[in-house]
Amino acid sequence: MDLRSRPVGALAGVVPALLLAAMAAGPAAAQDTIRIISHRQPALEYYTGKMAAALPEGRVTVELMPIDRELELASITMSSQSDAIDVLYLNDASFQRFAANGWLEPLDDLWEKYREEYDLDDFPQSVIDAVSYDGKIYAMPIQTNTELFFYRTDLLEEAGIEPPTTMEEYAAAAAQLHSARTAGTIMSLKPVDAALNEAHWYMNAIGDGWFDDAWKPIFNNAAGVEAITKLKEMTQYAPRGFTAHANDESTINLQQGLAAMGLQWFTRAAAMDNPEQSRVVGEMGWVAPPGGGARIANDGFAISRFSSNDRDEMFRMMAEAASKESMREGAQFAMPPRLSVLEDPALAEQFRWYTAAREAVESGQAFPAMPDFLDVGEIVTRHILRAVTGEAEVQAALDQAAAETESLLASRGYYN
Amino acid sequence: MVSWQRGLWLFFVPSFGLLAVVLLWPLGYAIYLSFFDYFLGTGTRTFIGLGNYIELLSEARLWRSMWTTIIIAFGSVALEFAVGFALALALYRLNSSAKVFSVLLFLPHIVTPVVAALFLKWMLAANWGLVDATLLTFDITPPDWLGDPLWAKVSVILADAWIFTPLIMMVLYAALQGLDASLIEAAQIDGASNWRILRHVIIPALIPAIIFTISVRLMDVFRFFDLIYVLTGGGPGTATETITMYTYQLGFRMLEVGKASALGVITLVIVAALLLSINRALNSIYRGGDR
Amino acid sequence: MSAADAPNRRRRDTWLIFIALSVFTVINLMPLIWAVLTSLKDPRDAFTIPPTIIFEPTLEYHRQVWFENDFFVYLKNSLIVSAGTVLISVPFGSLAAYALSRIPRRSAGPILSALFTIRMFPHMLLAIPFFVMGTFLNLIDSYILLILALVAINQPFTIWLMHGFFLDIPRDLDEAAAIDGCTSWQAFRIVILPLARPGMTVAALFSLLLSYNEFLFALVLTGTSTKTLPVAIASFGGEDISSWSLSAAGAIGIMLPIVVVMLLLQRYLVRGLTAGAVKG
Repeated sequence: MDLRSRPVGALAGVVPALLLAAMAAGPAAAQDTIRIISHRQPALEYYTGKMAAALPEGRVTVELMPIDRELELASITMSSQSDAIDVLYLNDASFQRFAANGWLEPLDDLWEKYREEYDLDDFPQSVIDAVSYDGKIYAMPIQTNTELFFYRTDLLEEAGIEPPTTMEEYAAAAAQLHSARTAGTIMSLKPVDAALNEAHWYMNAIGDGWFDDAWKPIFNNAAGVEAITKLKEMTQYAPRGFTAHANDESTINLQQGLAAMGLQWFTRAAAMDNPEQSRVVGEMGWVAPPGGGARIANDGFAISRFSSNDRDEMFRMMAEAASKESMREGAQFAMPPRLSVLEDPALAEQFRWYTAAREAVESGQAFPAMPDFLDVGEIVTRHILRAVTGEAEVQAALDQAAAETESLLASRGYYN
Repeated sequence: MVSWQRGLWLFFVPSFGLLAVVLLWPLGYAIYLSFFDYFLGTGTRTFIGLGNYIELLSEARLWRSMWTTIIIAFGSVALEFAVGFALALALYRLNSSAKVFSVLLFLPHIVTPVVAALFLKWMLAANWGLVDATLLTFDITPPDWLGDPLWAKVSVILADAWIFTPLIMMVLYAALQGLDASLIEAAQIDGASNWRILRHVIIPALIPAIIFTISVRLMDVFRFFDLIYVLTGGGPGTATETITMYTYQLGFRMLEVGKASALGVITLVIVAALLLSINRALNSIYRGGDR
Repeated sequence: MSAADAPNRRRRDTWLIFIALSVFTVINLMPLIWAVLTSLKDPRDAFTIPPTIIFEPTLEYHRQVWFENDFFVYLKNSLIVSAGTVLISVPFGSLAAYALSRIPRRSAGPILSALFTIRMFPHMLLAIPFFVMGTFLNLIDSYILLILALVAINQPFTIWLMHGFFLDIPRDLDEAAAIDGCTSWQAFRIVILPLARPGMTVAALFSLLLSYNEFLFALVLTGTSTKTLPVAIASFGGEDISSWSLSAAGAIGIMLPIVVVMLLLQRYLVRGLTAGAVKG
C-alpha cells in the first residue's frame, strides 16, 4: 500500500487498539466489591446503609435508583448471566419473576446455618412464604409494606363523619368532603404501577379478585365490572390530574391539604408529620383501608445467582441489616417483618400509624403469587384506564384484558 | 475519476467500520430476534418466522399508538418550526442584542432530557405545578394539562417543543446570517412589503436549512420517550401512548424481546417510508423554489 | 409615507420585537427559573398554592449534591465519556463526510439515507445487545464501550452535518491540490480541513451535548466506578418529596458544567452553522 493510505489506516486501527487497551485495563476493581442495587426510598436508604456498615469500609458499594430503572438494569444484567450485580432489592411481584427465572441464589442452607445466630425464626411464616418460591427461600425479608387509608381528622370531624370502614362509606365521605379546592380523595392512576395498586384494592374489596384457582382471569365477571365501575365513579372526587398521579403526586396532594383522604403506602405516613414537608402535621389519621383487600407487600434483598462474591459473607451482611436492633431502628421508615419488633407496644406509641398498619396487614391482600403478575398488570391496567377515561365500556375493556391475559399466560405455560 | 480520488474509500473505513461493529451488529441481532418468540425471563427462544409481525400488525393497539405517535410527532415539529422560525427572524432583525437572546433561548436545549422532563412536570402538574398554582391563586381553573386526553397531547407537544425549538431557531438564525443582505436591501428599496420579502427572498434562500431542521427533527421525534414516560406514562388511558412507549413496555417491562424487536423493525420501516416521502415532497418544493 | 417616517417606524418595530422577545424569553425560561428556586427551598415550600416566592433560601441541598454524593467523581466520568466521544466522533465523521461529498451524488444519497435509517431505530432495543456485547468483551463498567456506543449512534448526525460543510468547499481546491501532487489524504489534511474547522466545532458541540446528556446506554453500560452524571442524578429522584429539593439541586448541578461550556462556545456555534453546515 502506498503512502496516501497510511494515516487513514492508522486511524482505522484506533478502534481495535482502544478496545484492547480497555480490555487490558479492565474493570478488575469491580470484582472484589459487593455491588448492591436498590430502589431509593428512606427505608431502603437506611437498610442499604446498614448492609454497607456490616462489612469493612469499601467492601460494599450501594447504588440507589428508582425501581423501574433498577429492574431494567437487573433484568438486562441477569438475563445475560453477568456478575455485575451481587445483591438487589426486590419487591414481592418482581421477586417472583426473578426467582422463577432462576436468577436468584437459593438461601436455604445459609438460612439453616444462621437460624440461631440471627434469630431467623422471628420472621412469621407468612413473611417467609412471601420470600420463597417453589419451596425455596430466595430473599432476606426487609420490610412489610402495606397500603393504609389516610384521612384528615380535622376535616372528617368538622363534617361529622367517622373514618369509613366500607367502600360505600368511603364513597359517601368522598362525595361530602369534595370541594373545588380540596378533593374528596386522592387516586393514583398513573400507568402502570400506581394504577395497578389502586385497582388491586377495588378488585379485592368489591370484586372477587384477579384469578380463580386455575389462573383463569375472573376480574371481568359481574363483581369485577362493579369494582371498576365504582373506581370510575370515584374519580369524580379525585384531584385534577389524577391520571398522571403516582405515589409522589398523591403524597404531595395530601401534604399540601389538597385532598381529604385516600389510599397510600405506609412508608408515606411519616412524611405527613414532617414539618419540613407537610402542611397537615398532626392532622392526618390512619385506618385499615375500607373494605379490605388493599395491597400488602413483603420486600427483601436477594443475592444474584451469577454473583462471584462469597455468598456466606453476603448472607451475613443481609442478616445484619435485618437484625432485631437494626429493624427496631428502621421501624420509623417501614414496617419491620420481625414479630418481636412489630409486637413491641412501644412502637405504636411512638408512631401513630402502627395500629392501623397492623390491622391493614390482616385485612390486606398481596398480589397473586405468580411470576407473571407484573406483566398481567401491564395489560390489565391499560384496559382499566381506558375504561376509566371513557375510551371503552367497562365490560368490554375488562373482557379484552381477560382475553389478552389468558393468551399471555397460555404462552407462559400456565394451562398445560 | 481523477487519480487522487482512488484512495477515497479509505476515508470511509474508520467511521463505517465502527458503525458496522458497534451499531449494525446489534441492529442485525435485533432483526434476527424479531423472528423468535423470545421471553428474556426464561431465556428460551423458539423460531416463529413472521409470527411476531403478524400478531403485531393485526393489533388495534399498534395502529392506535402509531397514530398517536404521528399526531404528536407532526404537532411537535410544526410548532417547533413555526416558533423557531419566528424567533430566528426576530433575532435577525434585532441584530445588536440578538446575542444575549440567542444564548438565553438556547438554554432549554442544553438541559439533560431526563432532567427537563422533571422541570416540565413541576410546571404542568395539576394543582401544585407552577402553572396551576399561579392560575388557581387568581381563581382561574385551568384545564387538566396532563389528565385530559386532548390537553395531555398538547402538553406533551409543548414539552417537546420547549426542548427542541431552540435547535431549529439556532440553525435558521445561522442560515439567516449567511444570507446575502444586499438582496433584502434591494427588495426594500423596491418598496416590497415585509411579507413579500419573507416569501420571495428569505424563505427560498433558507430552503436547505429548513429541510435540514425538519428532517432531523422528524427523525428524532419518533423516538420521543423520556418526556412522555415522566409526564403522563402514556395516559390518561392511552391518549399519549406512542409507539416507543409500547416498545418499552414489551421489551423492558414484559421482557418479550422478540416481539419488541419486531415492533422496532416495523416502526423503522414505517417511519423511513414516511420520511422518504416527506423528503421527496420538500425536495420538489426546493427545486420549485429555486427557479 | 414620507422618507423621514420609515426609519422611525423601523425603530418602533424593533422596540416592539425587543419587548415581545423579552417576554417570550422570560416565559420560556420559567421552568429553569422555577427549578433553581425549588433547589433553594425546603420541600414544604416547593409545591404550594399560591406558589411560594418569598422564602428563606437554603444552599443545603446543593451542598448535599456536590459534597455528599460523589458529584465530582460522576462529573469526571461524564467528562471522560464526553471527551472520548467527541474526539472519536468528529474525526471519524469528518473523514467519512468528506469522502461522501466527493463521490457522485447518486451514490452519496443512498448512503446518507441508510445512515439515517440506522439513527431512527429505537435506542432501547440496542441497549440489550450492547450489554450482551459488553459482558462478552468484559467491558461493562468501563468507559470504552459506552464511548463507542455513543460515537456510533452519533455518527449519522455528525456525518450529515459535516457533509454539508464539505459540499460547500469547492472541488476545484482538491483538484488544484491533486495537480500539485497531493494525495487525497494530503489534500484533505492541508487544504480542506482548515476550511472545515467551523463545521467541526459545531459537530463537536452536538456530540458533546449528546454524550453528556445520554441516559439509557449510560445506565446499562456503566457501573459503580464509571457512572455518569445523568445516571447518578436519576437516583436523587423519587419516593419521597424530601428528595425533590435534592432532585432540583442535582438537576441544576448537572446543567452547570454544560451551560458554561455552551456559553463559552456559543459564538462558534452560530458562526459554524452560518458557515454552511446546513447547505446540503
